[in-house]
Amino acid sequence: MKTTIAAKSTRSGGLRLNQTTVLVTILLVLALAPIVVTDSFTLHSMIMVLFFAYMATSWNFVCGYVGQLSLGHAMFNGMGGYVSVLMFTQLGLSPWLGMLFGGVLAMVTAVLIGLPTFRLKGPYFTLTMIAFAEIVRIWIENTNEFAGIPLKGAEGLIVPNRGDDFWAFQFSTKLPYYYIILSFLAVALVATAWMERSKLGFCLKAIRGDRDAAEALGVNPTFYTSLAFAISAFMTAIGGSFYAQFFRYINPERSMGLELSIDMAVMSIIGGQGTVLGPLLGAAILTPIAEIARGEFGGGLLGLHLVVYGLALMLCVLYFPKGAIEPIRKLCLRYFGGNER
Amino acid sequence: MSEEILRVQGLSKWFGGLQAVKDVNFSMQRGEILGLIGPNGAGKTTAFNMIAGFLKPNSGSVHFAGKDMTGHKPWDVCRAGVARTFQLSKPFGDMNVVENLMVGGFARHTDRSRNEARAFEIAEFLGLGDRARSEAQSLTAFDRRKLELGRALCTEPQLLLMDEVVAGATPSEAEEMVQLVRKVRDRGVSILIVEHVMKVIMSLSDRVIVFDHGELIADGKPADVVSRPEVLKAYFGENYDIAGA
Repeated sequence: MKTTIAAKSTRSGGLRLNQTTVLVTILLVLALAPIVVTDSFTLHSMIMVLFFAYMATSWNFVCGYVGQLSLGHAMFNGMGGYVSVLMFTQLGLSPWLGMLFGGVLAMVTAVLIGLPTFRLKGPYFTLTMIAFAEIVRIWIENTNEFAGIPLKGAEGLIVPNRGDDFWAFQFSTKLPYYYIILSFLAVALVATAWMERSKLGFCLKAIRGDRDAAEALGVNPTFYTSLAFAISAFMTAIGGSFYAQFFRYINPERSMGLELSIDMAVMSIIGGQGTVLGPLLGAAILTPIAEIARGEFGGGLLGLHLVVYGLALMLCVLYFPKGAIEPIRKLCLRYFGGNER
Repeated sequence: MSEEILRVQGLSKWFGGLQAVKDVNFSMQRGEILGLIGPNGAGKTTAFNMIAGFLKPNSGSVHFAGKDMTGHKPWDVCRAGVARTFQLSKPFGDMNVVENLMVGGFARHTDRSRNEARAFEIAEFLGLGDRARSEAQSLTAFDRRKLELGRALCTEPQLLLMDEVVAGATPSEAEEMVQLVRKVRDRGVSILIVEHVMKVIMSLSDRVIVFDHGELIADGKPADVVSRPEVLKAYFGENYDIAGA
């Protein structure tokens, strides 16, 4: 009992330094990993892990900290992908710029949706987000052309091949994609770590703790939630552009379907929502499992990875309600506790 | 000293067909501790919530330091310098004591290290210094109540609204809270306190106002107010004077 109290008292003081160190170490290891990993399949798998880690981190930025479950974030991913691809094919604009437009569109949408829906609690918010995302998906799936823009419905959009061209966001090898998504992830993690310690982070956690009490302490919940939601939507949309460029193909089902929203949420929750590194851990655990399940049973048992998610989620809720990061954090405290301060 | 910090005029609130607060008028001087008492259902908390911005009055006005705050949102009321505590304390359970207190600090300052230093100070002031890094959900009911008071203080209020601060507390805890409230007043904070425990009200308040059925029925020094027949009637019923005679 005494040790747990001691551990708790060192926690916040030590965690700061500790978290930064862990973050930097992880990023360094990931940056150096391609020296060892040279085969294309493993690199591809690692890109997918980083992509999902990035998406889960974006989701966590608002949902993890404010304690609302959004299952509609894939909508922002789709927006980012569609805007950057369409601007590239229709206007010849570099996806590097197009993704910013996609991000801004997602931000505006997030604020417009967030203002009325963030008042809703628990399942009502979740259902509303699913509804919005599904409306957008179904609309695009059934629209071939809108105001002269060829959305191509369920068929999806193909990004024309330009060979090895940085400005076209196209590379003939996997390695550049690896470093691009790693940089995105690094920015997202640093942004989360910064937010957690800023006024915004405290306000979000206060809203999660008790909305009335937060209001009484000068926190305008609508303002802070919308702000975080907008930033989260922007980051998610940027991820959508990456996804489109990496596969050179997007369709409504894959880039804005419910499954992607669930992926983002479940990875954050299993890893540890409301923590900086939790979503990364969740993605590192679940993405390989999902890939293997897809590979092994892909033909016969489509969707088996969702069963795996369900099982992982159940185990997590039972044994690590604060996410898989919690036992790791406790272990670190036990073994490195003395060095932390 | 005799500057007016709070003025409530013609304040009324209807819930459907029930009028919870009826045309209430009172005011408070800076540095005063004003006790608000009344039987259950007298409309104390409703009036309290209207002042704090959690309920919009149907009519009437609330002026804080000469500024009209009627119907303003809670966060605006807080930033104007009015802090409140809740009847049921509402700690942010998964944050520790210092982090809880820091939320209050962020209402006025964005500088994190300043807020953290201030939070430690307030934790010491409350006697929670040794539990500064404990999660709020691990605190005892009374410590949570103190934390609630501390969070409100971190917003640097000029006027503090306290809702039932000693409900459920042991006599020694109640005494500790009374001392704390006095120390808060000595820091220059005016206090409006809603309370059921008469002993606390009598020893703390400079002045007492009494609510019954949504109306203000008495206003004066604590000792005078409690001996008035209309107050006794509100608390003990019609036949109290016969029983007492």
